[in-house]
Amino acid sequence: MNSSPPVAQPGASETEKPDPTLTDPLVRSSMREALLVTAIWFIAGTWSISVCYLMGYNRSVESLKLVFGFPDWIFWGIVIPWMTCTVVSILFGLIFIRDGELGQDLENADDLGLGG
Amino acid sequence: MEVITCSALLSVSLLAQSSALPSVGYGAMAMLLLFIMGSMWIGVIANRATESSGFMKGFFLGNRGLGAWALALTATIQSGGTFMGFPSLVYSHGWIVALWIGSYMVVPITGFGILGKRLAQLSRRTGAITVPDLFRTRFHSPALGVTCTIFILLYLSFMMFAQFKAGAIIIKLAWPGSGELALSESTSVMDMRYHIGLVIFALTVVGYTLIGGFLAAVWTDLFQSLMMFVGVMILLFASLSAAGGLEQATQTSLQNTGPGFVFGPGYIPDGSPHQFLPLSLAISFFVVWIWGGVGAPAGLVRLMASQNTNVIRRSVYLLSLYNMGIYLPLIVICICGRALIPSLETTDEIIPRLALMTTSGWPGGSLVAGLILAAPFGAVMATVSSYLVVLSSGVVRDIYQRFINPHAERNELRRAAWATMIVAGAVSVAVSWSPVKYLQAFIIFSTSGAAATFLVSTLMACYWRRATRVGVFFSMITGALTVMTLYLIGIFELLPQPSIGAVTGFRPYFLFGLDPLIWGILSSAVMGIGGSLLSTPPEEELVAKMFGRID
Repeated sequence: MNSSPPVAQPGASETEKPDPTLTDPLVRSSMREALLVTAIWFIAGTWSISVCYLMGYNRSVESLKLVFGFPDWIFWGIVIPWMTCTVVSILFGLIFIRDGELGQDLENADDLGLGG
Repeated sequence: MEVITCSALLSVSLLAQSSALPSVGYGAMAMLLLFIMGSMWIGVIANRATESSGFMKGFFLGNRGLGAWALALTATIQSGGTFMGFPSLVYSHGWIVALWIGSYMVVPITGFGILGKRLAQLSRRTGAITVPDLFRTRFHSPALGVTCTIFILLYLSFMMFAQFKAGAIIIKLAWPGSGELALSESTSVMDMRYHIGLVIFALTVVGYTLIGGFLAAVWTDLFQSLMMFVGVMILLFASLSAAGGLEQATQTSLQNTGPGFVFGPGYIPDGSPHQFLPLSLAISFFVVWIWGGVGAPAGLVRLMASQNTNVIRRSVYLLSLYNMGIYLPLIVICICGRALIPSLETTDEIIPRLALMTTSGWPGGSLVAGLILAAPFGAVMATVSSYLVVLSSGVVRDIYQRFINPHAERNELRRAAWATMIVAGAVSVAVSWSPVKYLQAFIIFSTSGAAATFLVSTLMACYWRRATRVGVFFSMITGALTVMTLYLIGIFELLPQPSIGAVTGFRPYFLFGLDPLIWGILSSAVMGIGGSLLSTPPEEELVAKMFGRID
């Protein structure tokens, strides 16, 4: 939803004041990751629903095939994508998500002197 | 999963059949006592862990110190329903339920990857302890904070009432020597044992939450999640062995039911034209479980409490492995259940019945069965505890501290938090003493309503510079009203609709066959974006504080 905001340059001065024209790198990386995750969700959903619907709805019982005990449409439409998503999630957590500073909490959150 | 928790909790009703299996009641009661004592101990430890910090941030947010295990296993999964209502659906409708729950394959990355880092950062920038805090400061709008508070108090109150009833029923049925048979929602269950169970449950859960606050809620949740994992692994091995393997179980369950058990749209026992999961609902649930989870207020608070980005990263792969080890095995277990126990009248009982059947010949089988049977109790306690904390923080932070006593000291805040929890517990006991007929409907609505209210508004708060308080306000109101309207139409049968979905007493109106939450999210997005674009842009200084680089 952010319309291409500018990016903060690495190595900015520690005393640098907030600048509405600069976007924090963590905001940018979070948004990038959120978009990728949404794409993964969409692909997984499309795959699962399509395969299950095309292979698993309104079939005759004689056509049932089992793969490792699972009905074939469950195996290809759920088990395989689930395993794939688990691998993708692990790689996503290990490699893709970029670490960053979350910033300092307000000194005395018990008080109501909140920013803003 | 929350929507199916209440009736599903009756699954433990098999415990009552102690006349047939006398040792079972003692095993289950022993495990319940273990859970209760363990939770109290966790409460004390949590209290010590937060003693040295500021009360509000320590008691309500665990000093933003959640580690990977605690975050992974407690922020996104609604484990109360996992062990209860979900198995009942698999037993009733067959393999199609794997598609119904299929979106859980991406819950670990959506749960943490969409909002995790940014929400954790934003809550620090705003100093937010509660969700209303976050919205109030992000948009510099006390009115928006009050709106959030009202919604959260409303939703969580209803969601909590059901859990009290469920907890009481579990204690009642686990009572050694109980001669009760299986129960259902329609059966009169409000006898003396129920009322004693209700009081014990309330004292326990309010007691340890009052002592340990947010950390106690999270740690008991983690404790029961791990117990549940152990239980599933044991039951997977036991049920596959008893059924002669998965292939044999699928074939036998097919013979015991009909073609619908192994194909879509799912098996319907009475042979009616009702469809459990037509294509429209299959699509709906891929949206509902994911985006409903992302927008759940209790989950948002836990993301705000995460320690750092490394914790969020590790949570993704920990939860991936956990989900893989819970949901697919549970489906396999219940398919075996249909093969081993062909015609169970009260399908909620499938897990406890299977546990009793498959472990009866084992040394110490009673305790193993007790572990499996008592896991739902831990799940219910953890859920209530989590709601109590969010509810109490809403009252203390967003009402007491904001409007009544802004300069309250630590002890005053502590007393206010305790008083809120005690009152919430007392009201829950009073409401659950003799629950009203439409309570369940409000609970189901509250779960979807909360997600429709907070999903789009939180996304806007996190990622859209141009979002305004007006837009977010309209987004919240519209999402809530849309879901509420569709639920009311369905519950009171104001419009005819196709016979689809789970067979329950209260069904929403599936407009064009889609779940109400989808319409709630869409309308919330349209009004949020439109309202923001049509209103005055936010102050540049405020946006800079929320989005700019300030280190």
